[in-house]
Amino acid sequence: MAETREELIKRLDLQARRIRHNIWRALKASGSGHAGGSLSAADMLAVLYFHTMNVRPKEPDWPDRDRFILSKGHANAGLGATLAVAGFVEDSYVETFYGLESLFGMHPDIKVPGIEMSTGGLGHGLSVGVGMALGARIKGQSFRTYVMIGDGELHEGSNWEAAMSAAQYRLSNLTAIIDSNKISQSAHVAEVMGVEPLAAKWEAFGWAVHEFNGHDIGEIVDAFGRLPLDSRRPNALIAHTVKGKGASFAEDTYLWHQNTVNDEIFAKAVAELGEL
Amino acid sequence: MAVSNPTTNDWRAKSASQTRLAFGQALLELAARDPDVVALSSDTQDLLGIREYIEHYPDRFIEVGIAEQNTIGIAAGLATVGLKPYVCGYAPFVTARALEQVRNDVAYAHQNVVIGAAASGISLGVSGGTHHAIEDIATMRSFAGMTVIVPADVDEAYKATVYSLQIDGPVYIRLGGRVPEAPVTDPDAPFSFGKATELRSGKDVTVIAIGALVDMAVKAADTLKGEGIGVRVLNMSTVKPLDTDAILKAASETRGIVTAEEHHLTGGLGGAVAEFLSQTQPTRMKLVGMPDEFAVVGPTPPLRAKYGMSPEAIAAACRELAGA
Repeated sequence: MAETREELIKRLDLQARRIRHNIWRALKASGSGHAGGSLSAADMLAVLYFHTMNVRPKEPDWPDRDRFILSKGHANAGLGATLAVAGFVEDSYVETFYGLESLFGMHPDIKVPGIEMSTGGLGHGLSVGVGMALGARIKGQSFRTYVMIGDGELHEGSNWEAAMSAAQYRLSNLTAIIDSNKISQSAHVAEVMGVEPLAAKWEAFGWAVHEFNGHDIGEIVDAFGRLPLDSRRPNALIAHTVKGKGASFAEDTYLWHQNTVNDEIFAKAVAELGEL
Repeated sequence: MAVSNPTTNDWRAKSASQTRLAFGQALLELAARDPDVVALSSDTQDLLGIREYIEHYPDRFIEVGIAEQNTIGIAAGLATVGLKPYVCGYAPFVTARALEQVRNDVAYAHQNVVIGAAASGISLGVSGGTHHAIEDIATMRSFAGMTVIVPADVDEAYKATVYSLQIDGPVYIRLGGRVPEAPVTDPDAPFSFGKATELRSGKDVTVIAIGALVDMAVKAADTLKGEGIGVRVLNMSTVKPLDTDAILKAASETRGIVTAEEHHLTGGLGGAVAEFLSQTQPTRMKLVGMPDEFAVVGPTPPLRAKYGMSPEAIAAACRELAGA
């Protein structure tokens, strides 16, 4: 029997909480990490990997898979957490965060099954995504490419070079997801260097834009379900999110961009996640 | 993979004795051979002579505009889906402006991207320091897994570009500007990847040269022959991986080594040879290249001579090492 919308949302909400649990497991194993930006992305990662994207965890190199690039690479705890829930990697991968010779470092490594590009230096992912989207067209493949970018990351000018080119080539198979959690490493993005008006900027660069609540599973499902927003323009999905979402003590503060995690914090965080 | 006989094509005439144009001609052969070859331009279509390529393969050409960072990132993305991107770059901009993209997206992620970099060294003399690339060998060869090739003339540029299709990992091909490069390599020989080619034999001194300086090294050797000094000339067209066997042999069989390149004396060919010999067989060396300054404006041939990149300067360095 087909899954009802209510069941779908319930299932994805559970996966999102499992991803958050893995994020805290990873940070506890390493003793620190980027909780804030991983947690703000968790709900969207759950919808992408367990509903929207066409991927095969047991066949990570399947040529027609959809591509996901985490341009805001410092949120790799979130991506690694997701890949473990989805089965691209073993569950034990989560505990190897920051370990010597581990493939699970602070930033994504293309050698890991399911990771499409090594990222970390900010402002790189969208250009690579443009290349993948153009590559799909040249090779006659129908896969879609998703690039998640932080709002602070948009300070990097290379994003706007990439934005221009995606519009020029009418890459409706490309989607930029802006994880707009409003906070970067040292303060609110608006104080560090304002990026608003975000929607107007992307529109002016020739993209079709849709804004939504990046923590409302139903809204996320609907946003991805509308793709492509326009058959002749690339898609900019602006997700309004909360840095550190899901752990009350870590929400909406630059202090949890990157922080230490001990047993006590871990227990507090996990207690807020409910039954897994 | 055999390189088809270039003499059967008209690519040589179209290259007009310029390595940058030979790169564009070679892309035509590559595209005919392999449907996955894609060319990218940063508003550099004429600089690398790819108009003919674009006419033949419009669907395998991507103009990115004056945006080198984006060009390299896109090339990396194309490579991840199995395409074989060839970037047509301006040496100073594709290496310096896009340095982090080359390092992270291409080298660190080990993607099969080939960068053709025209207008290297001070080949665009009148353009001034902003348009000179005298640090590119230093940066490109410092990236793990990066292959660095510096062709000496159009034949070598054409064959090296065709050869690059089979190299695993990123490749940097350093090309010249609008000053013609004299023919100096054997047109009938295949490209000798990773191996130096001996252009003159000699027992007294060795000159290891690359690019436009290979022809100057040959001229210096011919002059010194008349003075009774035997100069071995090696064309080290693959700077990375370096032909250490040829270097060790030269260090053992001759009295010293002169390196000659159109590049800053820090980190280029001279640096690479010295790094190797200092740890294996310390050898007397003289380095010919750009001293620690930015070049002034001027036409390239006299500009090269001003900074000691001339047959005369190479000969003087050889005489010193020969003890003459």
